[in-house]
Amino acid sequence: MAEDLNWAVGGEAGDGIDSTGKIFAQALARAGRHVFTSKDFASRIRGGYTAYKIRTSVEEVQSVVDRLDILVALTQRTIDENLDELHDGSAIIYDGERSWEAEIPDEMTAVDVPLKSLAEDAGGAIMRNIVALGAACEITGFDVEYLDEALEKRFGGKGSQIVENNKEAARLGQEYVAENYDLEHLGYSVETTDNDYVLLNGNEAIGMGAIAAGCRFYAGYPITPATSIMEYLTGRIEDYGGHVVQAEDELSAINMALGGARAGARAMTATSGAGIDLMTETFGLVATSETPLVIADVQRSGPSTGMPTKQEQGDLNMALYGGHGEVPRFVITPTSITECFWKTVEAFNLAEKYQTPVFLVSDLAMSVTEQTFPPEAFDMDDVEIDRGKLVDDDEVDEWLDAQGHFRAHAVTDDGVSPRAIPGTVDGAHMSTGLEHDELGRRTEDQDERVQQVDKRYRKVETAQEEENWDYREFGDEDADNLIISWGSNEGALVEALDYLKEDGIDVRVISVPYIFPRPDLSEEIEAADDVIVVECNATGQFADLIEHDVLTRVKRINKYTGVRFKADELAEQITEQLSAEVPA
Amino acid sequence: MSSDVRFTDFKSDKQPTWCPGCGDFGTMNGMMKALAETGNDPDNTFVVAGIGCSGKIGTYMHSYALHGVHGRALPVGTGVKMARPDIEVMVAGGDGDGYSIGAGHFVHAVRRNVDMSYVVMDNRIYGLTKGQASPTSRSDFETSTTPEGPKQPPVNPLALALASGASFIAQSFASDALRHQEIIQEAIEHDGFGFVNVFSPCVTFNDVDTYDYFRDNLVDLQDEGHDPNDYEAAKEVILDSDKEYQGVMYQDENSVPYHEKHGVTEDMSEIPDGAPDDAMDLVREFY
Repeated sequence: MAEDLNWAVGGEAGDGIDSTGKIFAQALARAGRHVFTSKDFASRIRGGYTAYKIRTSVEEVQSVVDRLDILVALTQRTIDENLDELHDGSAIIYDGERSWEAEIPDEMTAVDVPLKSLAEDAGGAIMRNIVALGAACEITGFDVEYLDEALEKRFGGKGSQIVENNKEAARLGQEYVAENYDLEHLGYSVETTDNDYVLLNGNEAIGMGAIAAGCRFYAGYPITPATSIMEYLTGRIEDYGGHVVQAEDELSAINMALGGARAGARAMTATSGAGIDLMTETFGLVATSETPLVIADVQRSGPSTGMPTKQEQGDLNMALYGGHGEVPRFVITPTSITECFWKTVEAFNLAEKYQTPVFLVSDLAMSVTEQTFPPEAFDMDDVEIDRGKLVDDDEVDEWLDAQGHFRAHAVTDDGVSPRAIPGTVDGAHMSTGLEHDELGRRTEDQDERVQQVDKRYRKVETAQEEENWDYREFGDEDADNLIISWGSNEGALVEALDYLKEDGIDVRVISVPYIFPRPDLSEEIEAADDVIVVECNATGQFADLIEHDVLTRVKRINKYTGVRFKADELAEQITEQLSAEVPA
Repeated sequence: MSSDVRFTDFKSDKQPTWCPGCGDFGTMNGMMKALAETGNDPDNTFVVAGIGCSGKIGTYMHSYALHGVHGRALPVGTGVKMARPDIEVMVAGGDGDGYSIGAGHFVHAVRRNVDMSYVVMDNRIYGLTKGQASPTSRSDFETSTTPEGPKQPPVNPLALALASGASFIAQSFASDALRHQEIIQEAIEHDGFGFVNVFSPCVTFNDVDTYDYFRDNLVDLQDEGHDPNDYEAAKEVILDSDKEYQGVMYQDENSVPYHEKHGVTEDMSEIPDGAPDDAMDLVREFY
């Protein structure tokens, strides 16, 4: 198990918690350490508690755990909210000169640092969080020069004076702790390595994947937690000749993206929560007009407004079945931040090869978690582009009927028709949400109807045969205990394996990134004694699918508190479930 | 683009199922003539159609086209034009599509000022669903769902456009073929969002806003010496509910279309075979 350090900064919304945490995370990444971050947003009506948490190790970290070693607390609530995670060896950095009187359990180490006064000495009270970072460096023996690099990255654009002031603030915090406290007995140390890591979250990975895949048009409407995809693309996609447009609502956003796709661009939209409900209106049109479109759903807690800043994997059924009528579609669920990148690339290829909507279903936990990776994890040379049956001026001729009309919805063996985009000579055609003939013109002819429905579903069959729909596998392949999961739970499961191994429990983990089409798990389930499906929802939407596929009952671990799984907690629940009865 | 394009090239061989005498025939003819006259051809033209009688226009015209979801034609057209500034985009729909279910999109399409044209076939009735009140129906217009009339004022789409910051507002009458075509042509040639509300009478379900009514009451702004660049004059005719006007009410001489403001000029359909050459820079940004 990784020798890790768990650090957090917390306070009120507006205290600069996010940027403070990000600076420390970047400093750790610069020091060649792995980082895995999580964020606590306001969870109650009163107050605006927010925290940025970092788990760091020289080995890869993929999950949060229920332990907090160093806490920078800007409010008492930050301490209260985290009492369960704090332990006897925890150090809590706070500002004793502030108006609130810190109540810190005696067994913990209270580190009173005049954050505000020292920040003022460095040039401004606004830098009090940076003073706290300097203090944290001293407690953990972390070289403050790494912090300098992160400060240069964060404030470099604001001029050298700002950077210098911040560096000074960090040093004042560090020196204050060095002069006033002897904390070596706590035993914290931060080993560094020569490794270079990049630090990014799932939404940034999706945005970067989109640009790499040739996406040039993005239309969206801001909604937590999908907005950061749009924010990532804005200001970057233009460098590649693309554009981001903020639509008036999600109904418009998906239709704009659809328009961009019909015009020949690789186009996408992303949303969450109620936004995906609104977009459902257009799912059927995307499918029947055979338009290649990538629709990302960064799931958050529902239904209705639910808990908008909380984690949930509750939209699986929506992605699979949303929309009236029968809508052929692909549903892909990246299982890690690197996979957010690669599955986005894949989504664009699938969309164009099969001229069909592709749902890229991510979730809040992945969207806000920043994690370190070697840059080779995103090797752009490995990005392949397949535009499918896009025809040019010459190829159009093969697909004209006797009257010279382009057969945009030609009935073919593999179900895929040729695709001509505007400007292609003799390719002009209409597409529609009405049932249509090969030319895209309305029909209610029974034979033509059946031909078109069959052809659209034949694309899915073709994809099932030609594409790779494999799962990812971890742990002991021969273990009797099989855990199945989808989406972002993978990291916590992989780390849970270590805890389980300590207890002598062998487990095989299957992490499924493809929900439709999906891998056939019959043999794997047959071979296991115990099968547990892990997901962040109340009803077990993926477990239901698996039971339907293999006609056998499975055990379930469901979490719908709004917080993602933690490795240690998951290990405990798995142990519990292994001795539980299979539901009747 | 060839110079010998005729308007009939924009006609498909599908026979319209509109009722004989429907205003949409005249509206469509004018659209096709205007497209040909402005140097477009079917392969570089994209027509987006809404839902309703008017929405069938995509089937009867020949061009690249999408017949989409009710009310969302403008967002589709917006996407097409942003991805392909080289393509002529014309959006067509009815008063229900544009001013009821799609009213929100109308306001924002006007604000965005994307360089495309929007032709609304306004018959002041829901025809395809067999005669219910539309957003432009008169307040005392009796229909199956409003037996005593809607008892609400009709939407004034021209005023809505003006209030939303339109750069081109016009109105035409489907039966006045030459003027209708001229006005659509001006909308196409306008640098920005060219909006034309077309009186397109429904001969089956609307016995009030008929051809005769419009013939008797239509005032052509061209004959009135109206200056479309004069905002105040435009405001006056647009808010004048006593008359039915034809012509270009307002045109902003300084209109800057969306693509110029935002620098959206590339053909987005052209992409490399793999990731862009400098794509690793995107990764390095995260160091």
